[in-house]
Amino acid sequence: MLVLRRAGAGERAWRPVGPVRRFLKQEKVAGWVFVAPWVIGFLGFNLYPLLATVYNSFTKLGLFGEAQWVGLKNYQQLFTQDAPFGRAISNMLIYVVLTTTIYIVGGLLLALLLQHKFPGNHFFRVIFYMPSLMVGVGIGSMMVQVFNGRNYGLINEALGLLHIPPVEWLNNYDHPWMSLVALIVTTFWFMGGAMLIFIAGLKGISKTYYEAAHIDGANAWRRFWSVTLPLLTPVLLFNTVMTLIGNIQAFALPLIFAGGGSGSVGAVVSVLGYHDSLSMFLTYLYQEGFVDHKYGYASAIAMVIFVITLLMTAIVLGVFQRFTFYQGSSE
Amino acid sequence: MSVAGTSPSTTSVSGNNAQEQAYTDGVKRYQRGRRYQRLSMILTYIVLIVWALVILAPFAWLLSASLKTINQYYASPIQWIPNPAMWSNYIEVFAIYNFGTYVGNSLFLATYSMIVSGVVSALVAYGFARFRFPGRTPLFILMLSTMMLPPQVLTIPLYITFKNLGWIDTFLPILVPQIFGSAYSIFLFRQFFMGLPRELDDAARVDGCSYLGVWWHVILPQSRPVLIVVSIFTFLWSWSDAWGPLIYLNSEQTRTVPLGLLYFSNGFTTVYPQMMAATVVALIVPVILYAIGQRYIDSGVAIAEVK
Repeated sequence: MLVLRRAGAGERAWRPVGPVRRFLKQEKVAGWVFVAPWVIGFLGFNLYPLLATVYNSFTKLGLFGEAQWVGLKNYQQLFTQDAPFGRAISNMLIYVVLTTTIYIVGGLLLALLLQHKFPGNHFFRVIFYMPSLMVGVGIGSMMVQVFNGRNYGLINEALGLLHIPPVEWLNNYDHPWMSLVALIVTTFWFMGGAMLIFIAGLKGISKTYYEAAHIDGANAWRRFWSVTLPLLTPVLLFNTVMTLIGNIQAFALPLIFAGGGSGSVGAVVSVLGYHDSLSMFLTYLYQEGFVDHKYGYASAIAMVIFVITLLMTAIVLGVFQRFTFYQGSSE
Repeated sequence: MSVAGTSPSTTSVSGNNAQEQAYTDGVKRYQRGRRYQRLSMILTYIVLIVWALVILAPFAWLLSASLKTINQYYASPIQWIPNPAMWSNYIEVFAIYNFGTYVGNSLFLATYSMIVSGVVSALVAYGFARFRFPGRTPLFILMLSTMMLPPQVLTIPLYITFKNLGWIDTFLPILVPQIFGSAYSIFLFRQFFMGLPRELDDAARVDGCSYLGVWWHVILPQSRPVLIVVSIFTFLWSWSDAWGPLIYLNSEQTRTVPLGLLYFSNGFTTVYPQMMAATVVALIVPVILYAIGQRYIDSGVAIAEVK
């Protein structure tokens, strides 16, 4: 079958000849061989876990013992008796809508300011983009201190300059939702990622459209609404969907904000924050699945997150479908 | 011309006047335009500078806080330049809080991901970009749709599997999935490869180069920008990932930098300056990588753009 022969002075000493080699030389076979790693990974790390999660979500499954079929009980409990999960859904809705809006609108504004060449343009781009590369525990650890209560947190210090009394952001027992506000405010530091994609998108818009609009006497405001925005919709759509999906996956920041920034809380730190005020999809999934080891129940949570992600993406796609405009034959 | 002249002379005079008028109007408009442009440029600069200060302020605060004693840390108003500067905080981070081990673990995981996932993704992308085979388009769409799926949602069955294999508290649950590439990197590579000329591939094939040879000798040498972008993104993704390590690793020896920071903030009483020094260590890596690849990342994000 597999015949090996010594190749003269070639780079490789041994190479297969005969049927195997001829088989592999076929374009369609070679194509499949190249994409095979991803296909195997998809089966093992996407498809299998997805099916297993669907199945597990109908069972009671813990650290010990076998899975017990319980039908829809997990879902029933999730939607009727689970207050932290209800809080997670409402938190997520507020968080995702606000952060996505801030990202997209802010990113677009920065891109509009930086789209033309002028001295210092590059410098500003670098500064605005840098924090986007740092998302995670590191920046969270910094932001928690920046939002520290009393008057030694940076934000409160800045508010003090405007004669606004210090705000208790993270450990506010009267208004636990303040920590969610703080979490959303951090979004202002991460608009650079969206900005960079918008700058690229703006460059792709053909100059002729602007010239035509100019001749027709359109002012800058009108040019933005009638030329820039419609022609930017494909990029806008891409950016919005990616941001949305990214924001649904918020984990490290809420987790570290839930700790309240006081290192002394010790082992009793709740993953969900005071009064579940920072209960998010993934922090709640983490809490139920990997702190409490309720695998069956956590699988139901995972399924709900999955379906909500699909729904939100579908809504965004649906909304954009009505407005998306692809420019003819530019480029 | 709106004025119907009675005599040719008056017509020409009024014509001249109108022209002059138009000319001075034009000059005025031009000057006004220039002034407007200058003004809008100044406004742009003001907005940009203020915003840059807002963005930079927490980082400046972080750097200063990492060099403080605990008393300086609590001082109000903020002491921006600590005196004396406690460089020893950084030494403590490594000597007492064991960040040497954490940084080593994180560097290992990130470098491994960068190389293994990068190479495999580039091979898969080559398959998608250069070969016609049945099922290619549906497979590619399937791959794009996996990018829409929050990966954390799939962790529970994987965790159970890895636990049964006895892989918990080893790096294996984080290392093994990298062997199969990542959808996002494959997508970036594929978009880039599609834009490379096919003639070179064909020429190399005629000269007797194998498919793998074309990938190595023809495709990759032309793909420097995308290679750098994917490498940096993969490295940084791994460097800042908290979910995987938090779930799969639990002993102190296997901790990564994000875990070190999380337990830093959870385990001890007031060691804020040291914690801020550790945070600087965690954040300096993205800064360095961005400095290296900045030129490419700017254009690399454009690759990620639709189409």
